[in-house]
Amino acid sequence: MDTQFLVSLSIILATFALYIGIAIYNKAKETSEFYVAGRGVPPIFNGMAIGADWMSAASFIGMAGTIMLLGYDGLAYIMGWTGGYLLLTFLLAPQLRKYGRYTVPEFIGDRFDSHTARILAAICTIIISFTYSIGQLSGSGVVIGRLFEIDAKIGTMIGAVLIAFYAAFGGMKGITWTQVAQYIILIIAYLIPVIFMSLQLTGNPMPWISYGELVGKMGELDRELGISEYFAPFTNGTKWQFLALMFTLMAGTAGLPHVIVRFYTVSTMKAARWSGAWALLFIGLLYLSAPAYAAFSRFILMTQVAGSKIAELPAWTKTWVDTGKLQVADDNGDGVLQWNELIISNDIVVMATPEIANLGMFVIGLVAAGAMAAALSTAGGLMIAISSAFAHDIFYRVLKPNSTEKTRLSVARWSIVIATLLAGLIALNPPGAITQIVAWAFALATGTFFPALVLGVWWKRSNSQGVIAGLLVGLGVTLAYIFAAKYGGFTILGIIDTGAGVFGAAAAFAANIAVSLMTAAPSQKIQEEVMDLRYPEQMVYKDGEVWMNEDGSKSV
Amino acid sequence: MKKIDKKAADSYFREKTRNMIIYFAIGFLASFGVVFFAEPLSDITINGFPFHYFMGAQGAVLTFIILLFVNAKMGDAIDRKYGIDENKNEQISSGKVLDH
Repeated sequence: MDTQFLVSLSIILATFALYIGIAIYNKAKETSEFYVAGRGVPPIFNGMAIGADWMSAASFIGMAGTIMLLGYDGLAYIMGWTGGYLLLTFLLAPQLRKYGRYTVPEFIGDRFDSHTARILAAICTIIISFTYSIGQLSGSGVVIGRLFEIDAKIGTMIGAVLIAFYAAFGGMKGITWTQVAQYIILIIAYLIPVIFMSLQLTGNPMPWISYGELVGKMGELDRELGISEYFAPFTNGTKWQFLALMFTLMAGTAGLPHVIVRFYTVSTMKAARWSGAWALLFIGLLYLSAPAYAAFSRFILMTQVAGSKIAELPAWTKTWVDTGKLQVADDNGDGVLQWNELIISNDIVVMATPEIANLGMFVIGLVAAGAMAAALSTAGGLMIAISSAFAHDIFYRVLKPNSTEKTRLSVARWSIVIATLLAGLIALNPPGAITQIVAWAFALATGTFFPALVLGVWWKRSNSQGVIAGLLVGLGVTLAYIFAAKYGGFTILGIIDTGAGVFGAAAAFAANIAVSLMTAAPSQKIQEEVMDLRYPEQMVYKDGEVWMNEDGSKSV
Repeated sequence: MKKIDKKAADSYFREKTRNMIIYFAIGFLASFGVVFFAEPLSDITINGFPFHYFMGAQGAVLTFIILLFVNAKMGDAIDRKYGIDENKNEQISSGKVLDH
C-alpha cells in the first residue's frame, strides 16, 4: 500500500506540475486574454479544452457507475450530454461568436439593451456555475481524500486552494492550454483500464465492439436470477422521465455559460462550427466508453464475485468495503455472496476497475490523476465564468465603467479566489449527492439561458421586457418544480426533480414570447444586429439589405 | 461594400436553415425517437446489443458526431458557394469585436 501511495502521489504531482507550468507560461496580461484567451485558439485544441471543461468529476467518476446501476435508464445521461452539442453548435455558438462579446450576460445585456437583463443574467450565471462547482470540489475532495487516506474534507480544501491558484493566475489563456493537457491525461486514464478489461474478458482490444455480447449474456443471467434484464427500458422511472431528463441535459448543455464562453475563444463563426464538431468527437471517446465500463464491471461482479464464498472474496473487495462504498452482507447466512447481497456505490466503478482487473499500481495512480484532471479543469472553467459575470458584467459594465484594465483584472482574480473558497466551504457539507447537484445546475440552465439565448439569436422581436420575464419565470418554475418534486412528492407523468428543466424551459419560452408581443418592438438597430447573425462575418445586414464586405475592412 | 442581391442573401440563409432542420430531424429520431419506441425496437439485435440499448449507448452519439462534422463541412461548402473568404472573415471578426 505504501508503494501504491508513492506511485499515485508522484503521478498526480507530475501532472500538477505540468498544469501549473502551462498556466505560468501562458499568464494572461490583458483583459481579452483573461476572459477569451485573445480569441486565437485553433478549433482542434479548443475542442480538447471544451472536452476537459465539459467532462467533470461526475462524468469521469460517476457516470459509468450510474449506468451500471440504472441499466438502460442511465443512458439518458449519455445521449443528453452529447446531444446538447447539436443544439449548441447549430443554434447558438457561431451566432454568439459573431456578436463578439466576452460573456453570456454581456450578450444578453447588449442584445436586449437593458442593464436589468444584464444583471439578472449575471446572477443566473453565478447561481448555475456556483452550484456546479460545489459538485466538482466535493468530487475532488473524494479523490484526494481516498488517495492520501485523509478526511475528504481536507481533500476538498486542498482542491479549492489549487483551483483558486491556477484559475486566478492564468485566466482563460492559461486555462485553455492547461485544459488541453488535462484532456489528454484524463482520456488516457479513462481508456487504458477499459481496454485491458476488454482484452481480459473477450480477447478483443476494442471495448466498444466487444461489450455487446456481454450485454446480451447479462440479460440471460438476469432472467435466471429472476430480476429485470440489464437492458430492459424504463425500470427505474417512466418513459416521460427519461425523455424529460434527456431534454433537460441537452438544453442545459447549450445554456451553460462556462461552455458557451469557450466558443468566444475562437476566431470566426466557421471556427466555432468546427470547434463544436471536434469537441463532441473528443467527448464522445469517453461517453462511448462509459457503458462499456459499466457492462464489464457488472459482468465481473456477477460472474466472479457473486456466487463465491464470503470468506474467499478477491482481495480488492476488502479495500472498498472499508471505504463504505461496497457492501457484501451475507443476508441469508449461507456463507455464499449472492448477487442481491452485493450493494455497490456508483462512485467506485471507475476508481475500482484497475484493481478489479488487476492492472497494477501505475494504472491505479493514472486513474486518480485523470479523475483530478476532470474535477480541476471543470472547476477552473466554472470559476472563470463566475469571475467574469461579477468582475466584467456587474462591476465594470454597470457599477464602474471607468475603471482601468488593471483594476478589472484584479477584481476578476479576487472574485475567483473568494468564489472558490466559498464553494469549497459549502462543499465540506454538500447539500446533496454530486450527480444530483450537477443535475440541478443543468435544470436551471435549461430554464433560464436556453430560452433567452435561442430567442435572442433567432427572434428579432424578442425585447428586454420579454427576456426579463422569461428569465424570472424560468428560474421560478424550475426551482419550484425541483423543490415540489424532491420534497413534496409532486410529479407530472412521473417526471422527478432532475427533469425539471422541461417545465422551466416551456414556461420561459411562453413568458418571453407573450411579454415581448405585448410590449414595444426593440429598436431598429437591435433588430438589424439580430438579422446580421444569420450571415457569415463578411456579409453585413444593414438598412434592410445585405452587403458584402469585399476587402475585409474592419469597420462597417 | 457591395450590395448583395436580396435573393442571394435569402437563399444563403434558407440553405443553411434547411440543412440545420434536416440535421435536427435525424438527431431527434436517433435519440428521442428510439427512446419513444424502445420496447418494440428491443427485439432487433445489433452486434449482440438489443437495438434500443445500442442506439442509447453508441448509435445516437455516433450520429451526433457525424452530424456535427457534416454540418461543419457543408457550412464551409455553402460559404464558398456564396464567395465568402475565411481570411477576410478573420480580419473583420477581430476588428468587430467589442474590445474593452
